[in-house]
Amino acid sequence: MASTAAVPFWRSAGMTYITYSNICANLVRNCLKEPYKSEAIGREKVHFSATKWADGKPQKPSNFFFSLKLFPIVSICCFSRSRVWLRHAIGDSVCTVV
Amino acid sequence: MVIVPATTGQMGILPGHVPTIAELKPGLLSVHEGNDVKKYFISSGFAFVHSNSYADILAVEAVPLDRIDPAQVQKGLSEFTQKLNSASSDLDKAEAQIGVDVHSALNSALTG
Repeated sequence: MASTAAVPFWRSAGMTYITYSNICANLVRNCLKEPYKSEAIGREKVHFSATKWADGKPQKPSNFFFSLKLFPIVSICCFSRSRVWLRHAIGDSVCTVV
Repeated sequence: MVIVPATTGQMGILPGHVPTIAELKPGLLSVHEGNDVKKYFISSGFAFVHSNSYADILAVEAVPLDRIDPAQVQKGLSEFTQKLNSASSDLDKAEAQIGVDVHSALNSALTG
């Protein structure tokens, strides 16, 4: 029995709910007045370090300042408020989110 | 009473409401306590109504209306309307549509 549930436009365009929700949140944050705007943007920054691996050995890690504003479509789930360790293999690099 | 912007429309929640899980769309959340009304703009999220008459509203961003800059809203609305007209791929169209939806919701929250 095929499901006939209506699919939201963003889902049919290949976007996940988390991506949709984060885009909405970023748009709202951009429309805030100062100082609330800078507070909100600072609150949602995620720091992560990405390490490329080759031949089973880690290469030099790089430190990043991840602002969701710059990367609307990202395959990593980042939780900036809770301490969630997420190792997501992207090709041959491993990303650790603190 | 709490009025939440569910994807299926504005929904009012009173004590004794049937347990519900509702997905929210960008819109206005109003909390009515007697004659006192507090309004917040929600970016998106969920509303859970429990059987003990407790309701949880989960949102990524919930801002009081006075923190919203109307000029930015207008600018965003015209920018995304333009993007929607010139968008080519499905993903671009979806992003532009989201932009239009959020900014029009912000607009009606500010003016309504």
